Amino acid sequence: MYLAKKDLEKALQTLSQKAVVFAPILETIEDKVSDAKTVEKKFMPYFDGAEVALEGFNTVKPPKDVLFPNVEKMYKYKTGAGAYIMELLPEDSQKIIFGIRPCDMRSIDSMDKVFLTKDYVDSYYAKRRENVTIVAFGCLEPSRTCFCDSMGLDPNQAPTADLMMNVAADSEFTICNDCGTKVLTDDGKYILTPQTEKGKALLEQLKELLSDGGESYQDTKCSLHIVKAENLDEKLSKMFEHPIWEKVTKGCIGCGTCTFVCPTCYCFDIDNENHGAEGCKYRCWDSCMFSDYTRMAGGANPRPTKKERLRNRYLHKLEFFNERYGETLCVGCGRCIESCPAHLDISDFIEKASLVEIDASDYSEANYSEGRM
Amino acid sequence: MAIDHECSCNKNPLVPSLCQVIDVKQETGDVQTYTIQTMDGKKPFSPLPGQLAMVSLLGVGEAMFSITAQGEDYIQCAIKRTGLLTEAFHEMLPGQVIGVRGPYGNSFPVDDIKGKELLFIGGGIGIAPVRSLIRYCLEHREDFGHMDILYGARSKSDICFKEDCLENWSKEPDTNVYITTDISTEDWDGHVGFVPSYLEELGFQPEGKKVILCGPPIMIKLCSESLIKMGFAKEAVITTLEMRMKCGIGKCGRCNIGSKYVCLDGPVFTLAELDELPDEK
Ligand SMILES: Cc1cc2nc3c(=O)[nH]c(=O)nc-3n(C[C@H](O)[C@H](O)[C@H](O)COP(=O)(O)OP(=O)(O)OC[C@H]3O[C@@H](n4cnc5c(N)ncnc54)[C@H](O)[C@@H]3O)c2cc1C
Ligand code: SF4
Ligand code: SF4
Ligand code: FES
Repeated sequence: MYLAKKDLEKALQTLSQKAVVFAPILETIEDKVSDAKTVEKKFMPYFDGAEVALEGFNTVKPPKDVLFPNVEKMYKYKTGAGAYIMELLPEDSQKIIFGIRPCDMRSIDSMDKVFLTKDYVDSYYAKRRENVTIVAFGCLEPSRTCFCDSMGLDPNQAPTADLMMNVAADSEFTICNDCGTKVLTDDGKYILTPQTEKGKALLEQLKELLSDGGESYQDTKCSLHIVKAENLDEKLSKMFEHPIWEKVTKGCIGCGTCTFVCPTCYCFDIDNENHGAEGCKYRCWDSCMFSDYTRMAGGANPRPTKKERLRNRYLHKLEFFNERYGETLCVGCGRCIESCPAHLDISDFIEKASLVEIDASDYSEANYSEGRM
Repeated sequence: MAIDHECSCNKNPLVPSLCQVIDVKQETGDVQTYTIQTMDGKKPFSPLPGQLAMVSLLGVGEAMFSITAQGEDYIQCAIKRTGLLTEAFHEMLPGQVIGVRGPYGNSFPVDDIKGKELLFIGGGIGIAPVRSLIRYCLEHREDFGHMDILYGARSKSDICFKEDCLENWSKEPDTNVYITTDISTEDWDGHVGFVPSYLEELGFQPEGKKVILCGPPIMIKLCSESLIKMGFAKEAVITTLEMRMKCGIGKCGRCNIGSKYVCLDGPVFTLAELDELPDEK
């Protein structure tokens, strides 16, 4: 089945009748002082007239917050006389994430493992997850920091999405004036492939807009190809004290940006907000890159410097998560590379760690062979 | 997507239940023990020895504490005043309403240590988790061999659970109690010296013995070295870890050491298990 690009808006309108549809939408932000305009692409609820941009580069921030909001109320309470605790669960509203990329879909798979398995089910995440249907979009053009295929993903496929959307091979493109990326012309076609019952139900809703046909799709490759050792997780488990850490963590200023843009970072803090005797307990994203993340009473801190903190972040992505959940937690979306003010690059680390000798007593750039391919 | 709500607690694990403090006991200058019941006078839950409770003072905050004892209709936590939240706990009077969730953590391996002789070593507030196991073993006395309890505190007035440590436990069958203080004071005529050196002085035999070791990190480190020197296998020494915690259920990522979450996979580990973890403890 395929959907013509010119009918995309209608499709989104149809879907919006039954659910809130989060789609990648261009938002123009005006700087009131300089009058300068910047355009940012974000996942936000679709509205009539929204400038939806399925093609082009992936969004700066992943749609992670649809399932795991930046700030989420957990319960409210009252202290003193008439004390109570009242659970606050997300409401039962249907949502669709429309146009998520394969890397971000794979990130949701990882979050599912964290929040829904291993003895405890997180009620907040579970409630949101049950009510979300996900439509993935095979990348048309990767950005310069995309390396998902080196991490074992396929930028054209998101097997766990409810519905897969790819650009038909015979579609035509124009080049976007603003960003220089490929955009489908109105005659272009999206091939829709349902992968779950929820996906089939969405197709059913759209059936009047769909036509038969559309088999082969545009085959996209990542721009950044890196060397990644087959057994990198095992190798890293022997490299905790390796001299490489000193070097690769050097520039980090501990700002936490990498963790906030990452689609797979899920650490959270729990805190409360009070109004007199009443209050509310909430959780919010946290960052393992902050120095007080592990600080204990009396000031003891098992990860006192950026070296220990960044080492923990990299190892969590590339070793610890594999040990616990059987998959790598870095999906190669490249966001942390694009956003780091100090130009730290996890893909570069993966490559260096893949090539370096485990037992090296010192570490210098010369210790590993030719860098990027 | 159909989500299997196979949660071990059958309810939202992050929301505490309202409970009340029915008794406050001053143990030392900076440690108090709280006896906790549900609002209708029941036991909040039945923890295994070594398990934890997340205790919250609504409007202030919540933190993890070992459940040091339990009875028919209560659980007990001993809390040391170390910062903002624990200072607020110390203002509590009987009748105070609090939030409690748990029990969390893996607990001491009671089946593994059955039939064995036991050596309990505690330092400072670290006696709190050890006490839950000592109480369990005393209740099931016939399941365990000879018991030695070695406890160190800064001075006599810093000894927690004074009745247990100074009176009750030594009256139990086949149980020896050794108490030492760091400094000598007028009111103390017992042993003076740090736990690790007293341990070596006492020279326990490793054969058929399991050791339960809890206390401040430096004490654990030195005692571990002494125990190894004395011939104890790393598999025979059981200890607990402390990491900062938020969720207590292995979700928030806060308490990891390598791929383990101390709140879920711990806090109880043998020295052999700790050797497998990265050195970030
Ligand atoms: C597994 C486990 C068992 C524990 N058992 C006991 C016990 O039986 N009795 C007891 O008195 N204390 C125990 N603690 C320590 C207790 O949780 C801390 O003393 C308490 O959190 C200090 O909080 P504060 O706000 O008063 O200190 P602050 O210095 O104001 O704390 C600042 C922040 O750091 C966190 N934090 C500080 N110290 C610790 C710590 N040691 N562990 C974890 N988080 C910390 C607090 O939650 C708070 O968010 C245990 C900790 C863990 C992890
Ligand atoms: S974004 Fe870069 S500088 Fe900031 S914490 Fe992450 S690695 Fe460090
Ligand atoms: S670590 Fe960086 S590249 Fe990997 S998934 Fe997170 S943001 Fe993307
Ligand atoms: S306290 Fe949240 S993972 Fe352990």
